[in-house]
Amino acid sequence: MASETSAATTPAHDLPQEPDPGTRRLSTAKAMVEAIAQQMRVDDSVFVLGEDVGAYGGIFSSTTGLLDEFGAKRVLDTPISETAFIGLGIGAAVEGMRPIVELMFVDFFGVCMDQIYNHMAKIHFESGGNVRVPMVLTSAVGGGYSDGAQHSQCLWGTFAHLPGMRIAVPSTPYDAKGLMTAAIRSDDPVIYLFHKGVMGLPWMKKNRRSIGAVPEEPYEVPLGKAKVCREGSDVTVVTLSLGVHHSLDVAEKLVDDGISVEVVDLRSVVPLDRDTVVASVRKTGRLVVVDEDYQSFGLSGEVITSVVERNPASLRAVERVAVPDVPIPYSRDLEYAVLPTPARIEEAVRRVMQG
Amino acid sequence: MTDVTFPAMSEDADATGVVSTWFVESGETVKVDQLVAEVAMDKVDTEVLAPAAGTITVVAGEGEEVAQGAVIARIE
Repeated sequence: MASETSAATTPAHDLPQEPDPGTRRLSTAKAMVEAIAQQMRVDDSVFVLGEDVGAYGGIFSSTTGLLDEFGAKRVLDTPISETAFIGLGIGAAVEGMRPIVELMFVDFFGVCMDQIYNHMAKIHFESGGNVRVPMVLTSAVGGGYSDGAQHSQCLWGTFAHLPGMRIAVPSTPYDAKGLMTAAIRSDDPVIYLFHKGVMGLPWMKKNRRSIGAVPEEPYEVPLGKAKVCREGSDVTVVTLSLGVHHSLDVAEKLVDDGISVEVVDLRSVVPLDRDTVVASVRKTGRLVVVDEDYQSFGLSGEVITSVVERNPASLRAVERVAVPDVPIPYSRDLEYAVLPTPARIEEAVRRVMQG
Repeated sequence: MTDVTFPAMSEDADATGVVSTWFVESGETVKVDQLVAEVAMDKVDTEVLAPAAGTITVVAGEGEEVAQGAVIARIE
């Protein structure tokens, strides 16, 4: 990553970082759209393209209203050819634009991975640092609503394994706006993965944490800075995205049993805030990683490794709650058997309490 | 006192919809045109903005089915 050198084309004026949330509430989807709209108003180089981002407003409401305000020259509905329109975005970014490109479902990365990984992620390196790719690739992730094995994955671990891309994964309206603002203003390619279950959509199962206070002015939530969203002393739960909602629900429930759970929301996978994880486990001695991505060769192992490498003696017990290494089932019962549900998280927390 | 009503979304006068999301809670102060709710009818979502400033009281809870035009909140 080029984080230390990213001053080339970043707007000179700094935005506040993580201001007080205030009292106005939005859904995660509306917060995401507000961030995009605010940056489009102040920067003509920001534009949006993808399948159904215009009149439809994004099938998970990630671009609702943008076409009405900014018109079809800045909000482009594309044909169903991910390779072509992601390539278009990369070309525009290389020429100084700041495109926001929506890949409708992250599962569709299979048809366009050459553009994403061999071009978007590598051009900066292959040009000896001379060419920037200030692009945001947004995509819907996650399961829980019987959409089958090709529409339910998270895959942040897949992208994180490949160098060259920052990966933002919001869980709340507040972070959705701040991370999107930071992503648009970043000179590096950013993959921004929104779980359908945190968007606050009327037609999805809705956790109350999908609606929350959001400042009206633009601000940034920096990538690479995790958030301790609940302090506790017995167990550290490290998670992200919808896993944060579930873990906070479990933490509230376990208060009655005298178990004090600390919940860490990673907020970005790359950069990974290992310092916050290690510091939390130093305090609690017990770690549960909750990750809706596949269990093996991914984020959960990486988080545990952070502790094992830096402070192995601090770790008394560890568990992970991830998707066992199978494609996400369509059948509701089978799907909920593999997802990191509150019930599975609670079991894992109780197991590490034995250690 | 000002009524906040379920917006007219259908030509059928008897049509009903659902209050999907409240962005405010009873007792909170709202500004004119502040987003207070999202409602749905026949798979179409519409935002409801505060018609007046004041203290809001929610009348129809989330998930509740109501007729269009019905009072879903009051602002005093």
